[in-house]
Amino acid sequence: MTWTALIWIYLWLAGMAGGAYLAAFAVNRFTGGKNDSLLRLSTYLAIPLVVLGVLLLIFELGNPIRFWHLFTQFDVVSPMSMGTWILMAWVIIAMIMIVSWWLQNRVSEEVAASLAALRGPLSIVSAVLAAALITYTGVLLAVSSQPLWSNTVLLPTLFVISAVSTGVAILVLAALALNAIAGGSMAGLKPALNYIFGSTEWKTPKEMVLQLAETDAIIIVLEIMAMVGYIIWLVTSTSGSDALAVLISGSMAAPFWVGVILLALLIPFALDLTIRGKAIEVKGVLMTLTTSSLCVIVGGLILRWVITSGGQL
Amino acid sequence: MAEKAFLFDSTRCTACRGCQAACKQWNENDEEIPTVENGVDAVNTGSYENPPELSPKTWVKIRFAEVERNNKVSWLFTRISCMHCTEASCQNVCPTNSISHTDDGFVVIDQEWCIGCGYCVQACPYGVPHKDERTGTARKCTSCIDRRPYGYEPACIKACPPNALLYDDRSKLLTLGRQRVQELINAGMSNANLYGENELDGLNVLYVLDDSAEVYGLPAKPKLATSNSVGQWIGGLLTAGLVTALPFWFILKRKNQIAAGKLN
Repeated sequence: MTWTALIWIYLWLAGMAGGAYLAAFAVNRFTGGKNDSLLRLSTYLAIPLVVLGVLLLIFELGNPIRFWHLFTQFDVVSPMSMGTWILMAWVIIAMIMIVSWWLQNRVSEEVAASLAALRGPLSIVSAVLAAALITYTGVLLAVSSQPLWSNTVLLPTLFVISAVSTGVAILVLAALALNAIAGGSMAGLKPALNYIFGSTEWKTPKEMVLQLAETDAIIIVLEIMAMVGYIIWLVTSTSGSDALAVLISGSMAAPFWVGVILLALLIPFALDLTIRGKAIEVKGVLMTLTTSSLCVIVGGLILRWVITSGGQL
Repeated sequence: MAEKAFLFDSTRCTACRGCQAACKQWNENDEEIPTVENGVDAVNTGSYENPPELSPKTWVKIRFAEVERNNKVSWLFTRISCMHCTEASCQNVCPTNSISHTDDGFVVIDQEWCIGCGYCVQACPYGVPHKDERTGTARKCTSCIDRRPYGYEPACIKACPPNALLYDDRSKLLTLGRQRVQELINAGMSNANLYGENELDGLNVLYVLDDSAEVYGLPAKPKLATSNSVGQWIGGLLTAGLVTALPFWFILKRKNQIAAGKLN
């Protein structure tokens, strides 16, 4: 198998990072800029995840020290070349945003105001690049001659929806962890977080955490629809049903049915429904929220695994 | 420079596999036991075909097919190697511009520049390039470009005893191939055809086949890997826009508006 675990772990990390940023960007937009701290949290999460993914990608190369050859060509026809430039542009812009947040309370008010003004347009460019990044994780596979990847145009769609779903899930987990620290557990971490965020405002309102979970339930419904469409499209295409058999009944059937259908889709959807309309203080809600998010994240990894490996069998 | 090509005549091939041996000798690709570690998963298929697949060190092989025709078993042989496509998927997806066409039409991988990302391996409609873990690069048939300066023809051509494999100007081979196909049709093989004339804008390896491409295990309509990349990008980007906008808008805006009684 030419593309091994490092590739599908990378596809999962990049998807989750881009998805988390896009989710936070949407939340901030639709609440009139009141959730700047969530956008900051998502950016702080996304960039380490992306950088880790890129390192994995470089080690997957046959000649890791030649990785810089990628930067000698800009080729719109090659998804991998486009991905290289999308990744680089996003990391640079998001790093500028991170530095501006970090400096926000460390500089004079005038400078802080211009930093905030700079972040506005940068956050929009970042959103476009994050959308391009999660799309590219699907297009990379879809532009090939492997029937499981290329016989339909719904693989990028499936990966994009899964990316936003895992992104929301990791935002929920991170917000819960930070809120727990703010609430007193591991209080020793507070000064460190104040320092990293350059502010004491890094909590996410608990209503917002619940609304994120509610949104993820809708996203999972869209993901189920994309999965059904993907399967139907493959079955009706030439040699697509043979390729699909690997997932449905072949050597990848167990991780597909348990890891993708149950863990990534049905279980978190059902869990999100059970806590709908309940406050976070209600017994069991916190546990359900955490479990559901973990299922989405692990399920997203298994989805990348069965598609990437299954397509090469 | 005139475009060159190979012509493989399946009705003349005896499957002696001299081409396989000559290829390995010239390119210093030692024969090796087909194991997973060596990049080939060997399975006993009950056939004399060997090795089972192309690999980082096997750039040409003869594929065997047993087909029933008029209650008789026909034993068919096909040459499997790089097709040197004019519209080459591997070249299109290569992110470092390491794959190019020679002046006479053959596809070559620059071993000094290839980073070993493996994208050409996934993109090739014929499953030809393979990633070599020892060199860290993708490798395949070079059309013996390094024999050209000495005026030698490719090693596989030189080795072929029944002249089932020819090397010449592509236009000459097309004429020859069409004539041969006509002979086969006249002899009653109504499915005989010349494969490679128009596939992927013209292959530089032409096949005289006495039956359809599928019977020989060749894709009848090979597709360029990048043929639908615009659709793939648009589909993904549209989804990204929709999935970012709609669910969040619904939960954060519309539900609040409903709650506030602004909408009924």
